[in-house]
Amino acid sequence: MSGYNLERLNFLVVDDNKHMRALVKTILHALGSKNVHEAADGADAFKELRHFPADIIICDWNMSPLDGLDFVRLVRTGKDSPNPFVPIIMLTGHTEMHRVIEARDAGVHEFLAKPISAKGLFSRIRSIIERPRPFIRAGLYFGPDRRRRQIDWKGPERRKSGAGNAQVAEDEGGLSQAEVEALLNG
Amino acid sequence: MSSEQPEFIQPPDTLKDKVDVTAGGVDLDALEKAEALIAGLQGDYLSWVEGDLEKLQEFYKAAEAAEPADRREKLRDVFSVAHDVKGQGGSFNYHLMTTIGNQLCRFIEKLPEQVSRGQMEVVKVHIDALRLVIAQRLEGDGGRAGSNLVRGLDAVINKVKPAEEG
Repeated sequence: MSGYNLERLNFLVVDDNKHMRALVKTILHALGSKNVHEAADGADAFKELRHFPADIIICDWNMSPLDGLDFVRLVRTGKDSPNPFVPIIMLTGHTEMHRVIEARDAGVHEFLAKPISAKGLFSRIRSIIERPRPFIRAGLYFGPDRRRRQIDWKGPERRKSGAGNAQVAEDEGGLSQAEVEALLNG
Repeated sequence: MSSEQPEFIQPPDTLKDKVDVTAGGVDLDALEKAEALIAGLQGDYLSWVEGDLEKLQEFYKAAEAAEPADRREKLRDVFSVAHDVKGQGGSFNYHLMTTIGNQLCRFIEKLPEQVSRGQMEVVKVHIDALRLVIAQRLEGDGGRAGSNLVRGLDAVINKVKPAEEG
């Protein structure tokens, strides 16, 4: 059997809980990754990015002083961001729909509900590898294309409205049902 | 309203260059091995979750000793630890820790400004339940003991609503 070889990918794991960091690191090593760096919060992670060219960031939501959402926004839109395009997987215990929307609108690529499993984490990594998404700058949003499905949308084109991120309605065809369900059932 | 067109940018696909499909890559077998490795960490989990349970007790006592108007603020510490417990238990086959931790978080976030004695009792009974799950090693869904426990907690929550006044 063969599969994706993750040996050459650089991962940055950002979580304020050392046990969670250890768990994610254990999974990544078991999947063949060699280069896994850690950071305890968003500010640490941003510093780390300056000298560690992460290919994928796996990031928790609740951290201080800089939480996961602020960190994602900083990576995406910060003037001194080392890599605004880096794929980010958000790990979160917050599985409510509005939280999912909030994280998506900050510019994350993938969501993974805690408690995590090796299969769950790899499925998000595989999705990033197999489906690279274009980036969009629209209104206040900068990040991966939030529209993963092509739908026959009859309403106004919101991308042109210049509206803020928070005003994106929940009926937008951004998240696949499977992804939302994975979160909600996580 | 602006009529600016959205800008599409194609980022460099660095992953494509760095990830090959090889014989030693991630296949079903590798995933099973990784899951087994996590299962092997269960002993470590049981050790560190004791620390979380102690913190829950400590933070609960601090909230209990506070005036009703200050309790909600103090319970944020309990929420924070319960949120971690919720997010970790299931990874190590302690799904009840996730279920009960989640229920506790949802209860705390709906509490009014003045937290009553009855509401504090609900928080306490959840913390006690989390301790019980670990003390009795109630793995998975905990079988009959687990379902009795969850049913009992549901009954307590139904009796003392989080939004109850006074």
